[in-house]
Amino acid sequence: MNDKTDFPIFPHRHLLGMAGLSYPDIQTLLDRADADVDVSRQQEKKKSVLRGRTQINLFFEASTRTQASFELAGKRLGADVMNMSVASSSVKKGETLIDTAMTLNAMKPDALIVRHSASGGPKLLSRKVDCAVINAGDGTHQHPTQGLLDTLTIRRTKGSIEGLKIVICGDIAHSRVARSTTQALHIMGAEVHLCAPRTLLPAGTETWGAANATTNFDKALKGADIVMMLRLQMERMDGAFLPSRREYFSFFGLTKERLALAKPDATVMHPGPMNRGIEIESAIADGEQSVITQQVEMGVAVREAVLHLLAGGRT
Amino acid sequence: MSLSIYNARLLDPASGIDETGAIFVDRGKFKEISIGQTTAHPDAKTTIDAGGLCLSPGLVDLRVKTGEPGVEQKETLATASRSAVAGGITSFVVMPDTKPVIDDMALVRFITERAKSSASARVYPAGALTTGLEGDAMAEIGLMAQSGAVVFTNGDLPVANASILKRVMAYSASLGVTIMSRPDERALAGSGVMNAGQLAGRMGLSGIPVEAEWIGAMRDTALAEATGCTLILDQVSTARTVEIAKAARARGAKVFTTAAAHSFFFNELDVGDYLTYCKVNPPFRDEETRLGLIEALKRGEIDAVVSAHDPQPPEEKRLPFGEAAFGAAGLETVLPAMLSLVHDGPLSLLEALAPVTCRPADILGLPQGRLAENTPADLILFDPGKPWLCEREHLRSRSTNSPFDGRRLQGRVLKTFVGGDEVFTYESIA
Repeated sequence: MNDKTDFPIFPHRHLLGMAGLSYPDIQTLLDRADADVDVSRQQEKKKSVLRGRTQINLFFEASTRTQASFELAGKRLGADVMNMSVASSSVKKGETLIDTAMTLNAMKPDALIVRHSASGGPKLLSRKVDCAVINAGDGTHQHPTQGLLDTLTIRRTKGSIEGLKIVICGDIAHSRVARSTTQALHIMGAEVHLCAPRTLLPAGTETWGAANATTNFDKALKGADIVMMLRLQMERMDGAFLPSRREYFSFFGLTKERLALAKPDATVMHPGPMNRGIEIESAIADGEQSVITQQVEMGVAVREAVLHLLAGGRT
Repeated sequence: MSLSIYNARLLDPASGIDETGAIFVDRGKFKEISIGQTTAHPDAKTTIDAGGLCLSPGLVDLRVKTGEPGVEQKETLATASRSAVAGGITSFVVMPDTKPVIDDMALVRFITERAKSSASARVYPAGALTTGLEGDAMAEIGLMAQSGAVVFTNGDLPVANASILKRVMAYSASLGVTIMSRPDERALAGSGVMNAGQLAGRMGLSGIPVEAEWIGAMRDTALAEATGCTLILDQVSTARTVEIAKAARARGAKVFTTAAAHSFFFNELDVGDYLTYCKVNPPFRDEETRLGLIEALKRGEIDAVVSAHDPQPPEEKRLPFGEAAFGAAGLETVLPAMLSLVHDGPLSLLEALAPVTCRPADILGLPQGRLAENTPADLILFDPGKPWLCEREHLRSRSTNSPFDGRRLQGRVLKTFVGGDEVFTYESIA
């Protein structure tokens, strides 16, 4: 199997956010990922497009699923994958992000996967290295592979994305997923409605591509094709963003009754990790309308596609 | 030691003069300001034909930070003044946020002495309002004033406790000293790093809302009014803050406002791709607010424009935006920023010069900042139209964290004199 002969055009060096990606760029990525899903479902999952290439996962913020997903994606493509988990607290004062980047750059990696607690961290790093940088989540800014995997999951579930009504509900203000997913779905022609308590709903969501932003979940749900719930970041509860979990659940929790307001064939999504009973009822999370586990599967495929296109270039 | 500069376009905002003429300086002071005269003074030992260049008072800057004492790797009084005179600033006030904090008279004297021996510009120390700038205990304001502190401030962080601020203001009023305070309600500004709004939301950065400044200004002006204290609202960034000051003034409060020169030039979009050189506090606001601030300046309602010079070395700026230090080097770009309001904006040359010369001098009761007989001969010769490219490697301050880096500017100081002595001569960069 030779993946290099029909190498698609993808005019980007890094993947730092959704900004700058066009409709054809996303199509290219999703098509590539679709093919990777098929390979992943075979017994023999390994390809060789990244053989001899080095991928470094540089996680300044703890992560289980994203890091595992990137690691698996790289390995399935044949890359040598190295994990560097640098919990922010243990980064010695004095060794800056740039110093770390320059050190790793000297090891000649072909792709750096970066998660950082500061918005714009991977962008800063990308200015100092020679290889492709893939943002695996930066602060409250972007998480582009999550945006792409959500888009792929929807495309595979619904056939196409154009014209779908998509409701994203939860802590929009602190969510990098909301930003990336909204942008990606907007580019692909969906109508994205954002829903959150006023304190967690920032101004200017129309500039991300959202069609509407509301505090009324019930209203937003009417006629929805997709309902995507975001994790309520409990650590933010102290700052008087919300009165209590109980009150949050009663207005913004996804229950069976609420889901009935959406289209009968509506699909339920969640980027994980879930707080069962706070933003989503267990019965729904595990119910037949839920594609939450498919999202995880698509995550690996999308990351394979991204790595393939950015680090597997023609030699 | 006498000097005559003739055939110059004399610009003196204090008297409103904008005419061709000559000046005669003897023993450090202006002796004659001769309008219409195009030849040298017969008694002058040194004569300079200005060839029609602009001659104005040297700039007076009410807000400069250096790292001396304690953080000399950022900036010293000597490197700051080298940069200042290159930018046409001949007098500046240094902020007390150093290590240690300038909160007693020995340190005030240290600054004065250090500046005398190492700085080419006139340096005036500001004293801390509270010891260690901690906002708890009143510093020795009276003794520091006697030792030469010209203004008192809590630096970048305002006194959070209104009751302490009120007492400090009442005490200051009784001494007749001036307080400078950043209008900034910290509880609201919180961990913000750029202007609050949709751009901050999209970039995933926490915002500093304009209300934080308004509430701070309302609190500070109310207390100034109640105590009779003379208050400078330090670096306002919105026209509405200027309105708050104006309303207090209308009721008899002694309130002045300053604004940073860069806040007339940049807006929040300049933060662009997380450019930390554009991380300042108050932050660059949205375009509408920037234009509103220019309008307030045009109406003469902003009393002084400052450089807000805040040197930060690369290790404080080459960080993710949220973690980088606030502050911009600004000494060499005040004049071009003001001139941009003449070239592309609504100001006349005299309107652009007043808030950087006579008006700040008047707030502090300094004699300079004007072309007037028997005042200190601090002056600059500049070409208001000269184009140049601002490149940080050519800035003269030790830290060169300028948001103007890479910008094409217009207007350049060619000669600077302090007390009649030439302290800066422009040499073009080859």
